[in-house]
Amino acid sequence: MILGSNPLTPLEHGMRHVLNWFHFTVGLPWAWSIVATTVVVRMILVPLTVRQIHSMQAMQQHMPRMKEIQQKYKGDKQRQNEELMKFYRENNINPAASCLPMLLQLPVFFALYYSLRHFAREPAADHPGSLGFLHFIPSIAAHTTTHWGGYILLVVYVGSQMASTLYMSATADKTQRTLFMIMPLVFVFVIARFPAGLVLYWVTTNLWTVGQGLITRRLMPKTPAPSLARRTSRTPPRDDGGGGDGGGNGAAPKSPTPKPAPPRAKQQPRKVRRKKAGRR
Amino acid sequence: MYRAGVAAVWLYRVTFGALFPTTCKYHPSCSQYAIDAVRQKGLLRGSFLAGWRLLRCNPWSRGGFDPVR
Repeated sequence: MILGSNPLTPLEHGMRHVLNWFHFTVGLPWAWSIVATTVVVRMILVPLTVRQIHSMQAMQQHMPRMKEIQQKYKGDKQRQNEELMKFYRENNINPAASCLPMLLQLPVFFALYYSLRHFAREPAADHPGSLGFLHFIPSIAAHTTTHWGGYILLVVYVGSQMASTLYMSATADKTQRTLFMIMPLVFVFVIARFPAGLVLYWVTTNLWTVGQGLITRRLMPKTPAPSLARRTSRTPPRDDGGGGDGGGNGAAPKSPTPKPAPPRAKQQPRKVRRKKAGRR
Repeated sequence: MYRAGVAAVWLYRVTFGALFPTTCKYHPSCSQYAIDAVRQKGLLRGSFLAGWRLLRCNPWSRGGFDPVR
């Protein structure tokens, strides 16, 4: 992280401008400026994620078949992925997961990291407690574990990270998903060394992911009865939110039969239902 | 020289790749593609190809089987 300090300076300045604007112009405390910046970033990414969510919905219908194929090529990850890609193409599915939206958040993360490091050196000129958050984090620029409040934030981080993983990787295969779930428990030790403000950013972005997942689940109906029945035999409806397909879910169609037609037929009545639900 | 690129991808994998779990819509995944590209085409061209692949890995693209050619 120390390596890239120079090329990232413009990013840091940009972040500082945004934070300053929220703090001085809008009048938010520093911690809430971070939350607001995160929300703005996620709002900018909404067009990307909406498209992803639509893909997720389409994928839900194919979950049983995908799982079937996943089982079939259990031993051969490479083959599993190739067959899965073939399955997507044949069924006209656009996989929900993609790398770009996630990578677009990385510059924000770095910028915030460097901004907060400078915050620690030149404390905000306002008043001493201005770096606090909700009375339990004394300073967002200090290491998370320097105060008991930081531990609460870390617990919230682990919870929110796990919850967002539920939405983002529901179609990934079991091993991968378990790994994603365990990750926050391992990384919490690394994150403890980060400034509390960075953890705050993380928690906010995770909560946004979860909220987005909940809202879309409510607005968009679940799969029609037949496939729902099939799915329930496997896992609770949480699997629906699945986003991370491409990588790990292996599933190859047993036969490249003309499947595209039925899903399309199912999608149309869905749209009607969605409208009704919205009006209610 | 290409090793630097491969190392960079691994560094990403063990840090942010793990922190922000996501899966790729392409096969091989973007990070694997980057490694393959740097190995086969050299650091400069490989990096360019990897960057182009990342841009293609967006919600509007179709994904699928897409090895380095």
